[in-house]
Amino acid sequence: MDILHNLAFGFEHALSLQNLMYCAIGCVVGTFIGLLPGLGPLATISVLLPLTFSMPTDSALIMLAGIYYGAQYGDSVSAITMNIPHASSIVACIDGYKMTLKGQSGLALFTAGVSSFIGGTVAIVVLAILAPTLGKVALLFSPADYCALMLAGFFCVSFVTTGSLLNGFAMCLVGVLLGQIGTDIETGTQRFTFGLPSLMDGISAVSVALGCFGIAEITKNLDAREERTPFNGKIKLMPTWSEFKRILPSALRGSVVGSLLGILPGGGPSIAQFAAYALDKKVSKHRYEIGTGVIEGVAGQAAADEAAARTSFIPLMSIGIPENAVMALMMAAFILKGIQPGPNMIAKHPDLFWGLVASMWIGNCFLLVLNVPLVRFWLSVFKIPYSVLFPSILFFCCIGSFSVNNNLDDILVTTLFGLLGYIFMRLNLDPAPLMLGFILGPMLEEYFRRAMVLSRGSFTVFLTDTFSAILLTLVAVFILYQSGSSIRKKYLKRAGTGAVQELEIAKGGA
Amino acid sequence: MPNQNISRGVVLAFIALAYALSALRLPIGDFSQVGPGLFPLLVSGLLLVIALLIIAQSFLAGSPTPYLNLKNIAVIMVSLGGFAVLSKGLDVLAGIIWLVLVAGLASKSYSWMRNLQITVALALIALAFEKLLGFNLRLI
Repeated sequence: MDILHNLAFGFEHALSLQNLMYCAIGCVVGTFIGLLPGLGPLATISVLLPLTFSMPTDSALIMLAGIYYGAQYGDSVSAITMNIPHASSIVACIDGYKMTLKGQSGLALFTAGVSSFIGGTVAIVVLAILAPTLGKVALLFSPADYCALMLAGFFCVSFVTTGSLLNGFAMCLVGVLLGQIGTDIETGTQRFTFGLPSLMDGISAVSVALGCFGIAEITKNLDAREERTPFNGKIKLMPTWSEFKRILPSALRGSVVGSLLGILPGGGPSIAQFAAYALDKKVSKHRYEIGTGVIEGVAGQAAADEAAARTSFIPLMSIGIPENAVMALMMAAFILKGIQPGPNMIAKHPDLFWGLVASMWIGNCFLLVLNVPLVRFWLSVFKIPYSVLFPSILFFCCIGSFSVNNNLDDILVTTLFGLLGYIFMRLNLDPAPLMLGFILGPMLEEYFRRAMVLSRGSFTVFLTDTFSAILLTLVAVFILYQSGSSIRKKYLKRAGTGAVQELEIAKGGA
Repeated sequence: MPNQNISRGVVLAFIALAYALSALRLPIGDFSQVGPGLFPLLVSGLLLVIALLIIAQSFLAGSPTPYLNLKNIAVIMVSLGGFAVLSKGLDVLAGIIWLVLVAGLASKSYSWMRNLQITVALALIALAFEKLLGFNLRLI
């Protein structure tokens, strides 16, 4: 009953005219930018984060959350209609685009919209139940446990986002090192500031995000020089009753999978979509048709996508540790607003927490209205040429970095990160783990120092604290498994090439 | 240009070494009394090991040469740098004009008319930011 009472309290806050307006703006702007080619939720939030500086805290967070799940949904619309995938909507391209090719884009969009709504609703229930409970458990964590949790998060994110443990983890470490720039909080020593007063407070998270995700992404898109043809097909939105009935089981399955995978470190929408799609391919009544453009191929993954987007807030708000790069940016937004997410946040700011939870459901309704009947309007976004869009996005990046400290020099820092981000992208190093490392770096150092002081300099503390020992063992097993499988793959590849060469020699001889 | 794996390893090793050498100049302390240099030294040491592993990997498996379009990234850097300098020295409006006219060079086709229209639109947006959202852009 407590939860119902708390939710009612949250709705009271979220339904105020001001918060309703910001939630709607967040959903609209998020969907708009999410639709644009090459800009996913990470770039969208980083470009729009500075807009929230002048807003009240609860409205700012409600709007940012709206931007996040709006962008997530916008992504899937561009994937379904035009086969333009972002990192977060690759699965939507498989069956969604095939449905478009069959002339069923309206049905695919309706399925995605309704399934997202179902996924979001299930996830909000999970969020409302789990976040406060997990918050109580998090109070029992020792500094060593926190360190182990962050390390496990780094490993999971590295593997999930980049597919290569070495490259991803290296980027996390680069992020941690960048987070070291500034004044050491314990001793007041200047670290890596080159004597520049502007670096004494460290680098702004907004500069890193705008540089690595905004500017670098734009330049990469300019290199591609691809022409997008706007979608001009017919859209018949309303499904028949039998089609509608097919949406529900898949959407519910996807909601559960998404809600669970959203909570795990390194989890989030991308991995949830793949898992839900794979589950549907195994258990769905129409499993043999999945992959050819059917409702089940769209419903499950869309529901999992939205569910995971919402439950990924759980570790951030209850433990204070973001589990992926988007949540790291959200954490930066919380901190910029003077709120430290973590076990005490729900008790200290119940209006903020429950207001945000309630606003997610309201945002769900907005997205349903925005995306199902108004989808034709959204598709006209693709008619804007990129040559008009990119100078405007660059301008927003400049204004964004300036507005953090009202300092024009920050734009130069952002520009530098743009260059760094571009080089990283070209070297196939994903900047997403860097962002997580950058946000978590100072926290990791603080907990590491505390753990070391408490154990009088002994590393055994990481093995004597149960939770930390379990997590580190899991990480070690994961690393061993990964190394083993990559060595095996290389061996098989070599054996394969050797066999082919032998065959060619034999053919030549004949 | 060396292949992607070697370039990646070298860039990461360079970052690790730069940090490690700077961290060595800070008080290190010991594990029970961690100084400001110890944690960055540990992290950069770990990064260096990974960078060397990536370089070693590159000898086992080949990888493509990284693609860099120097013109585009240079144009974007100059447009953004110019925006910051001109906005500081002259005015944000001058910065916007520079940004749009220079960044346009990275586009497939250059149109003065289109860029002029974008400049006017962005100037109006900047004005709205200043008047409605309270941004201190110091427009004329």
